[in-house]
Amino acid sequence: MGVGGSKLEKALGDHFPEGERYFGFENFGNTCYCNSVLQALYFCVPFREQLLEYYSNNKSQGDGDENLLTCLADLFSQISSQKKKTGVVAPKRFVQRLRKENDVFRGYMHQDAHEFLNFLLNQLVEILEKAPHKVKGEDVPNGPCNGGQVNGLVKQEPPITWVHNTFQGILTNETRCLRCETVTARDEIFLDLSIDIEQNSSITSCLKNFSSTETLNANDKFFCDKCSSLQEAQKRMRIKKPPRILVIHLKRFKFMEQLNRHKKLSYRVVFPLELKLSTTVGDADSEYSLFAVVVHIGSGPNHGHYVSLVKSHNHWLFFDDENVEIIDESAIQTFFGSAQEYSTNTDHGYILFYESLTADDKQ
Amino acid sequence: MMNSGASNNMMSSASASGNNAQPPGLKTYFKTIEGKYKLQYEKTHPAGLLHYAHGKTVTQVTVAHLKDKPTQTPSQSSSSLGVSSGVRSAASRLWSVGNGRALSFVAGNGGSKPVSGSTTRIGSLGASSSNNVVGNPNFDGKGTYLVFNVGDAIFVSDLNSQDKDPIKSIHFSNSNPVCHAYDPDAKDGHDLLIGLNSGDVYSVSLRQQLQDVGKKLVGAQHYNKDGSVNNSRCTCVAWIPNGDGSFVVAHADGNIYVYEKNKDGSGDPSFPVIKDQAHFSVSHARYSKNPVARWHICQGSINGIAFSADGAYIATVGRDGYLRVFDYKNEQLICGGKSYYGALLCCAWSMDGKYILTGGEDDLVQVWSMEDRKIVAWGEGHNSWVSGVAFDSYWQASNSDGVGESTVYRFGSVGQDTQLLLWDLEMDELVVPVRRAPGGSPTFSTGSQSSHWDSACPVGTLQPAPSMRDVPKLSPLVAHRVHTEPLSGLIFTQESLLTVCREGHVKIWTRPVSSESQSSGNSDSLTSSSLKVSGSGYKQ
Repeated sequence: MGVGGSKLEKALGDHFPEGERYFGFENFGNTCYCNSVLQALYFCVPFREQLLEYYSNNKSQGDGDENLLTCLADLFSQISSQKKKTGVVAPKRFVQRLRKENDVFRGYMHQDAHEFLNFLLNQLVEILEKAPHKVKGEDVPNGPCNGGQVNGLVKQEPPITWVHNTFQGILTNETRCLRCETVTARDEIFLDLSIDIEQNSSITSCLKNFSSTETLNANDKFFCDKCSSLQEAQKRMRIKKPPRILVIHLKRFKFMEQLNRHKKLSYRVVFPLELKLSTTVGDADSEYSLFAVVVHIGSGPNHGHYVSLVKSHNHWLFFDDENVEIIDESAIQTFFGSAQEYSTNTDHGYILFYESLTADDKQ
Repeated sequence: MMNSGASNNMMSSASASGNNAQPPGLKTYFKTIEGKYKLQYEKTHPAGLLHYAHGKTVTQVTVAHLKDKPTQTPSQSSSSLGVSSGVRSAASRLWSVGNGRALSFVAGNGGSKPVSGSTTRIGSLGASSSNNVVGNPNFDGKGTYLVFNVGDAIFVSDLNSQDKDPIKSIHFSNSNPVCHAYDPDAKDGHDLLIGLNSGDVYSVSLRQQLQDVGKKLVGAQHYNKDGSVNNSRCTCVAWIPNGDGSFVVAHADGNIYVYEKNKDGSGDPSFPVIKDQAHFSVSHARYSKNPVARWHICQGSINGIAFSADGAYIATVGRDGYLRVFDYKNEQLICGGKSYYGALLCCAWSMDGKYILTGGEDDLVQVWSMEDRKIVAWGEGHNSWVSGVAFDSYWQASNSDGVGESTVYRFGSVGQDTQLLLWDLEMDELVVPVRRAPGGSPTFSTGSQSSHWDSACPVGTLQPAPSMRDVPKLSPLVAHRVHTEPLSGLIFTQESLLTVCREGHVKIWTRPVSSESQSSGNSDSLTSSSLKVSGSGYKQ
């Protein structure tokens, strides 16, 4: 380490967390979508710990097949084992592997960070499910709902991986026939929630809209099994099992039919540092704390830049590819969006990562 | 009455013409059961102002009534968004009758009912005498002003003129002004407090600023110079009611400092180090210097403070999501509790000191009862954070049966959803919740929290966040989108309701003119006994 260390080390001084590493990622030509998401995942402590545990359990088996999981594990372990506290690493192998796996990410075009996160988590799940060795974890109960039946779309009991345990929640889609009052409930699993946004609203309000009751009528009637006919019905989406890590994707890139292209919604959507989700079961609402935000910078969907804000040991850090800075908590509000359509502020919170504060060892 | 009617017409046409610039989708009126609230005036900063600092500060508004004549009742009313909106004295209400009416030719008759009662009771005939000046717009340095901050400047606008532009601007070179408060009862002329982003605080005479033609603060007393005592942002300043010129300043690091106007302004930064950030502690200055005391309230920012009208209690809300109510004299925590989730951003007292409103990042308006020392209701209706709350202490329930038996409180809230919401709080209805919490039990008699929910909470304790199903819910009477930008505050005055957005636009909405009071003359309302009830929020 050089004299006095980096600027970030100086800024943190004695408060530099024991054993923590803050490393920027080199950009390999428009790979900021990847860098910003990887930083958020690295500071998702349960995810990082399980990935590092997986790495230490599996590296002894020799360099078998390289896949996204092993590349990600390599990368995380490379960061956590650095001698220096701060610096820059090149996620070269990971990006190469990513481009090999999916041609969407192959070019040097601007990519969607949420699409990448979604692809990555699903790939990790797939790799872990295929893995021959047993992974720890319990089955998630999928019992029938009160007064309803489950048209389970849950597949033939795949193993529950630690990725599931970290990110997976269950939504229940309840439809109540307005004639016979029978409630039909269908469960859906999710790794993140994609929510529609409105101008000058809050995440709380967007989540409320997400699970608000909608009436199915006219041309959109519901086929009730009990009535054996199309009936008017009320439908609502509720959270049945809240995830340990709640990932909220704000649908800022909206397809405009009249333009035949996507448009970025720069709406001001405020997100609190703490959040509660009401669920269908249990007395207590599950409580969450914000720990990472992936920010899209730019006015359009096809260009721009991604950075991330990450909370680590009660400090907020700003990751912009290779640069890492400490920021004040109050700076987060500059990423809410703009109240006016044409604004010079184009830095908008895009993916929010909340971690559960509720003791959820049982899940 | 003819005059009054005519001026009303004039007003509405004036506002109609002034409203051509309204963005689409914004209406210039909204209706409640009492009638229409109409947009009367808009105030803003000069159009050319596009300072780099603009947008980084949030505009707050303070209403300041400058004394008309020294011989008049030495009382004026003041209210400051988020700071002391609940702080008014009985005398200030009396003043409002006289001058509020005199200064605003749209005064109408409806708005004056409750205060007419108090006028009678106090025994002044000020209302009728001041009616002589109806129609005289005050452009002469006396009257009612709006003080608001935008970017690096403080602007002063004449509340009762049609001019959109301010009559005065004061620029700060060292840091941005972010909060202010006005004391109508100030004895030595320093009646306006201004808190800066740098932590610095100034006290000045508003009249002196208005008389001066320059763009700098004149005759200011400077406290916490260059942040020598505390260099974190000022979040709130408030005069202590009946405090003989004492005031408090809240900071973004969780501390409140007490200043005495007549003490030496130079800082005495020798307060002991705070050992436990999470705990409340008070330290007093060792020498008779300003600030005389430091209250460490909480970890993280204090976002709002409000004194009860009598100055006995101070309420604080902050980043940690807790409302705390202290006995100011005894420096003791009385009660408080946590939001549903997230930070609390604003608070306000009812005039009688029985209730406290808070608003915050859970999109809820909370109603706190001082008697029960707990939350008694949650107002659901905002689609974003609640940034301003205030009781309408001038409002009185309509003269239908039941008035005087069941107390009804009218209050308002504004949010970052650009909406203004008005609410009625009727305690009789809250005992048995009007609306059932979704999926929850309708009363307090079941559920895990029931045992302690029914009884008042012990003194000196902070309550955890209640469960959604345990708190009775309120629905707003009206929700109106008033600005295009997120709102930062609201103030009720005798004649109107003021809303302000973060970017520095103020709108003044006149109260509905009630048909009943139009038919009955002023003298009738002065003697009408029912008016002596004088509304819910009135401090007896």
